[in-house]
Amino acid sequence: MWASLRTAAWLGWQIESNWASPALFALYSIIKPLTSAAILVVMFGMVTQGNFASPAFSYMYIGNAFYMYVGAIIAGMAQSVVDDRERFRTLKSMYVAPVNIPLYLTGRGVARFFTTTLSVLVTIGFGIAFLHLQVHPGDIRWGLLFATLCVGMAMLAMMGLVLASIVLTIAHGSWLVGEAVAAALYLFCGAVFPLDALPWWLQPVGYLMPVTYWLELLRRALVGRVAQQYPSLAGFDDRALLTLLVLITAALGVIATATFRRCDRIARERGLIDRTTNY
Amino acid sequence: MRSRQSTVGESTVGQSTLHRASGWRLFARTVAARAYPRLIMNVREKWWLVFEIVLPLIGLCAYVFMYRANNAPADLIGFVIIGGAMSAYWMNVLWSMGNQLFWEKETGNLALYIMAPNSMMAVLLGMALGGMFTTTVRAASILAIGSVLFDVRFAVDSVPLLAAVFMLALVALYGMGMMFASMFLLLGREGWHLVNLAQEPVFLLSGTFFPISSFSFWVAAGASIIPLTLALDAIRQLSFSSGAAMGFLAVRTEVAVLAVLSVVFLIAARLLLRKLERLAIAEGRLTEARA
Amino acid sequence: MRALAIETERLGRIYKPRKHNKDESKTRVALSDVSLTVPRGELFGLLGPNGAGKTTLIKILTTLLAPSSGWACVEGFDVHREPQFVRPCINMVSGGEASGYGLLTVRENLWMFAQFYGLSSADANRRIVELLAIVKMSDRINTKSSQLSTGLRQKMNIARGFLTDPKVLFLDEPTLGLDVEASRDARRYIRRWVDEDATRTVLLTTHYMVEADELCDRVAIINAGRVLACDTPAKLKRTLQREPIFHFETTPLCDGDVAAIAELAGVRKATHSSSDGRSVVELVLGEERVVGPVIGLLESRGIGLITLSKREPTLEDVFIDLVGRSMEEVEHA
Repeated sequence: MWASLRTAAWLGWQIESNWASPALFALYSIIKPLTSAAILVVMFGMVTQGNFASPAFSYMYIGNAFYMYVGAIIAGMAQSVVDDRERFRTLKSMYVAPVNIPLYLTGRGVARFFTTTLSVLVTIGFGIAFLHLQVHPGDIRWGLLFATLCVGMAMLAMMGLVLASIVLTIAHGSWLVGEAVAAALYLFCGAVFPLDALPWWLQPVGYLMPVTYWLELLRRALVGRVAQQYPSLAGFDDRALLTLLVLITAALGVIATATFRRCDRIARERGLIDRTTNY
Repeated sequence: MRSRQSTVGESTVGQSTLHRASGWRLFARTVAARAYPRLIMNVREKWWLVFEIVLPLIGLCAYVFMYRANNAPADLIGFVIIGGAMSAYWMNVLWSMGNQLFWEKETGNLALYIMAPNSMMAVLLGMALGGMFTTTVRAASILAIGSVLFDVRFAVDSVPLLAAVFMLALVALYGMGMMFASMFLLLGREGWHLVNLAQEPVFLLSGTFFPISSFSFWVAAGASIIPLTLALDAIRQLSFSSGAAMGFLAVRTEVAVLAVLSVVFLIAARLLLRKLERLAIAEGRLTEARA
Repeated sequence: MRALAIETERLGRIYKPRKHNKDESKTRVALSDVSLTVPRGELFGLLGPNGAGKTTLIKILTTLLAPSSGWACVEGFDVHREPQFVRPCINMVSGGEASGYGLLTVRENLWMFAQFYGLSSADANRRIVELLAIVKMSDRINTKSSQLSTGLRQKMNIARGFLTDPKVLFLDEPTLGLDVEASRDARRYIRRWVDEDATRTVLLTTHYMVEADELCDRVAIINAGRVLACDTPAKLKRTLQREPIFHFETTPLCDGDVAAIAELAGVRKATHSSSDGRSVVELVLGEERVVGPVIGLLESRGIGLITLSKREPTLEDVFIDLVGRSMEEVEHA
């Protein structure tokens, strides 16, 4: 099992780092996340007359920065299925080999984790340096931050596995699924606005999203004072929230395993493992 | 000594004769043929309704709620909805034209297109028109549903002018798309990364979710090379009561610039396609499969 | 004299390494000094191992790749300077092709490609039905191409090549992926298609000797980017017939035994291989009576002779004679 994960992580890195021009890679890692954040910065600046010292700005900026992990890992794992099946045509070889497929898919997400970490660091760093982002190294709760990141990565990997499993059963149009789901989750998990801003009938969806709790914990670890000003999850202290996140992640693990088994069976029955659509 | 014969217009198969179209007829047949796969997909693969409409709409709502959480004026919500609708065309230009050629190269279709007596511009136009149905449904759905969901109030004085601006914007945008697509004749995987890279910067610079007048004059002027920028600004000015106050240039000026851009991009696309095709053939890049 | 369908003069192609590409370390000569003429109505074969330059030559002739030196004409038009006149006359089928779109049916894919050549829908549909019947795929006409097996997809590709009734058809290993019967049917059809109309020409590349031998009017043997010989299969083989070839099957031989055999007077060439506990030696002899000393040598070394036969030369022998190694050995090198 460890070999599957390790080999997949190596493969994922080979694919991610296969850039014709390292300069282009550097540009991509910096420009893409910064412009994504800049859209929100301009929007915020326009309606608040540039009040970046406001807690709302830190709330939004940090949520958006760390949300990159969600898109990269969840969409990335789903995209791995598409790439391996359609472009590289190696998925059938993986199935024939004694490889643990769920771990293989998880391993393919590891490379994305590293490239995204660079983007997140660049984004946060830019925010601190130029936009008065209220992150002070002395105030960061490193233990909570580390624990949250670790549990969060496991959570995202499980969500990614669920999505990748579903993509296994879709022959046509599977390349859209990952990005579309990540874009949709953006609304419900309070990434750039507190859950209270949603209509009352949509808020329960946000409370069901594990990413909501994950982002909240990250804010508490990085900018605790800011997070306190948004009472959406005020009823949960850090320990309770972290425990809830761990439990949800464990539940996701069970769901992901069951989903993979079912989708794997469906894909085999329909002959989708090596189906190429050429489209 | 090289011998020379006339081109073939007909050929005999047994007792029958195959007639071949040329010139504009061949152009039209190529456009129709290449649009066909895109159009038929809408009938055969109905999942696109979810992934092209529902999920992008949900993602767009995040920006709307972000504005609402910060007490933004109501018209700005409408700006986001229009931006989301028009951005569908930009995404189509990026992924279904430019990047599509990268995919065609991988599958071997590009070699067959180049080798056939048709024109690559016809192939690209076919791709554009074929994708336009899906994109227009996406854009219209976002506009309609978003407007109803968020109670957007439009104040349109002239529908014909609005329609004209929209059509001009499409011509300019797709002309730019053809220009980019020609670069894909030379590019391999780095092309995919460039397309990926071009999404957010264009959304930022064109003011997809905010008025472009938020930027300084020169930044906005520079961004106006992207047809989406002035198209969005003109459409917003014509659609909302506060549109003119938040506008960048007068609508007339923006329409004139869009018209110039349309012509420039279409001519540039034609020239670049020829030049880059020759370059790709010289360097052997048309048929390489680069993972 | 028949007009020329294909003409090349000192054609060459060099691939230079590109910046940032760590896989390309040096310049590669894919083709060098290739001069060929193919008259109309000929089924011309290009035979050589993988990497010999066959596909590179086809890419140049089909206007997909520019030559680095020399020139080439198809139907009298320069492939580099006048591609717009070449393209209406040609079509190409490659082995293992994955062209077309998976969500379209076989008919729709073929119709689409026919449109790129200006065929009317009526003509295209009629041709599609005819050609699918020939490749025995009529029952799959409405199957999505994503649901086809490799062999069926290749049959569809073959149909695509003939669909536009080109003047010059380039077939780059067209039977790759086809089963034995389908390959035979394809070869028969290719031969018939050329014979039906004296203005049609086919350039076929293959690394299957049997295919070249059976099908082609003339064959050019190519290796490492160079044409080594070009003539009818019969004449090429006849160049070796002055030297008899004998096939010995013996008990296992060591390197010393093989060397001793090769050094015998009258032995022109000795090729040795082993399998299933036996050794197989092919000897090209100066004259038939050299067989005697060879048998004597085997006896003196205590090597058992299992079978002995005289073999007529094949194109593979011609290749070995020209290159010094078999095609498989060249590919593995």
